[in-house]
Amino acid sequence: MIGFIKKDIAVMKSNIKILVLLTLLYVAMGIFGDMDISFILPFMVVMVMIQTFSYDSFNNWNAYSLSLPNGRKNSVRAKYITTIIMILIATIITFILSCAISYLTTKSIPIEKIGFTMLGTVFGTILMLVLMYPIIYKLGVEKARIAIFIMVFGLIGVGGLLLSFIDLSVVGKTLSFLEGYIIEILILLGILMVYISYRISLKTFSKKEF
Amino acid sequence: MEYSLELKNVGKKYENFELKNVSMKLPKGMIMGFIGENGAGKTTTIKAILNIITSYEGEIKIFGLDNRKEEAKVKEDIGVVLDDMFFPEIITPNDINDIMKGVFQNWDSKMYNDYLKEFDLLPNKQLKTFSKGMRKKLEIATALSHHPKLLILDEPTSGLDPVARAEVIEIFQSFIENDECSILLSSHITKDLEHIADYITFINHGEIILSETTNELLEKYGVVKCTEEQFQKIEKKDFIKYRKTKYEYEVLVEDKKKFKAKYKVDVVDKVTLDDFMVIMIKGEE
Amino acid sequence: MEIIISNSSGVPIYEQIKEQLKNKIVSNELKANELLPSIRTLAKDLRCSVITTKNAYEELVKEGYIKPVPSKGFYVAEINRKIAREEQLNKIEELLEKAIWIAKEIDEPKKTLEEMIKILYEEEK
Repeated sequence: MIGFIKKDIAVMKSNIKILVLLTLLYVAMGIFGDMDISFILPFMVVMVMIQTFSYDSFNNWNAYSLSLPNGRKNSVRAKYITTIIMILIATIITFILSCAISYLTTKSIPIEKIGFTMLGTVFGTILMLVLMYPIIYKLGVEKARIAIFIMVFGLIGVGGLLLSFIDLSVVGKTLSFLEGYIIEILILLGILMVYISYRISLKTFSKKEF
Repeated sequence: MEYSLELKNVGKKYENFELKNVSMKLPKGMIMGFIGENGAGKTTTIKAILNIITSYEGEIKIFGLDNRKEEAKVKEDIGVVLDDMFFPEIITPNDINDIMKGVFQNWDSKMYNDYLKEFDLLPNKQLKTFSKGMRKKLEIATALSHHPKLLILDEPTSGLDPVARAEVIEIFQSFIENDECSILLSSHITKDLEHIADYITFINHGEIILSETTNELLEKYGVVKCTEEQFQKIEKKDFIKYRKTKYEYEVLVEDKKKFKAKYKVDVVDKVTLDDFMVIMIKGEE
Repeated sequence: MEIIISNSSGVPIYEQIKEQLKNKIVSNELKANELLPSIRTLAKDLRCSVITTKNAYEELVKEGYIKPVPSKGFYVAEINRKIAREEQLNKIEELLEKAIWIAKEIDEPKKTLEEMIKILYEEEK
């Protein structure tokens, strides 16, 4: 599987300039601006990874990869692992930069707050990954983009509708006993989501013929 | 005899195309030429062999093992060149070396780099800057560099000039100097195959028309060229197919010698793979 | 060792290989107990299929010109040069008979044939 991970990284390499540029932008914004865009780097990493799917189908790598030992399983597994590793690396870089900015400027944001933002970012980007990859495997990148667009707006719509009916304070009270475990819950939930999403993607890809 | 590759009644239905009962056997140490028109089913057959399509009927054995049950094991020993399927074009030959180290247990970086040198391929250039011929050569280098025992090559010489073609054909022949190694080679450049292929398998409209040794095919079959009047005298059971051209009838007969004896004709031409294919595909029964 | 294959002669390639090897053995260019190239190497060097060279070697074994040694390869056999030569001479005679027959058909004098042979013989060298 190492080979397949290396392949995804090799394809990503061509987008490294964009990522570096974004990092610089982030640093500049952090020093001179007020807006917090610390999510930008991990978020872009996912976008760049999604781009690798386009290259895979454009040059029929998908079909070629199936001629290699364990092609089906390794292709899917490598996509998930590479994306997660990249998200974590991007997050760590952002965390270090945020701390540095906070230290160097007068903003002095508490380290816990930075950490919490980063945890939220990781969870958010992983949520993106687990929702998008099965759809991409099912429909291909182009159609998946449209499907995801519809899905996101649908979710916002349904969510908004629900919120107008439900009294949030009640929900808050019932869930208040979980408050102390928020980090553990997010991590566990993340792992569970990744696993389910991976199984669905693998199943879809196993049936694919080229 | 030991076989590197055996297909038994392989079938696959598509909306507008069907692969029907494809059977063939490639003995160890031999080269099999796989010929047929574009769209006849060569690539579909190859995809079934490699499990790129999985929902086919029938049985495929590679090195005597079931290719679906023992897929990972079998694939360690297969090298492929596929028509228009390869790595994403934004990576470089060096990346491929790196990647393949993590894919094949027997990947041989030195061998791969030697091929890059032999083929004049720059290791640091993105594939998209390569010409079609250069890409083909890179695909061939990639297919050979993990010491496979079976090469499955779909149109490996397309896009190559005559000099490069001779060069890679020589590489394929060196490959089977080791009598453990075999090649299945599809091509519509039949001249290449006539010389080096031990066996010829001919597919048309998804069905295998014939699969036998090249020598037998070329020595036994013949083409009779005659006038309409002469053609009328030939019994239907004595020829396979015929083709009417502007000036003559071209009649494909299965046994040159028998035909000569029966009809007392002096000239029955040796068949070439090209003649054979054209008359079989375009001819009438 | 030279072996020349013609794709247009109409003679099967394995037969061309067989005949040329046979001639080399009879003329002592290939000496008894000399190791021949392997079937696969010869196929590669002549750009022909493995089955072709295999056929040629098998026929030569059958006719007693070469002998297989398991896991080593094929060696030139000790042949009775006299008998082998006789065989080849018989073949020449047969072919000449045919030529003479055609010459007589069209009333060509013996002299033409003699001259032809002379010129062709010289050319071949």
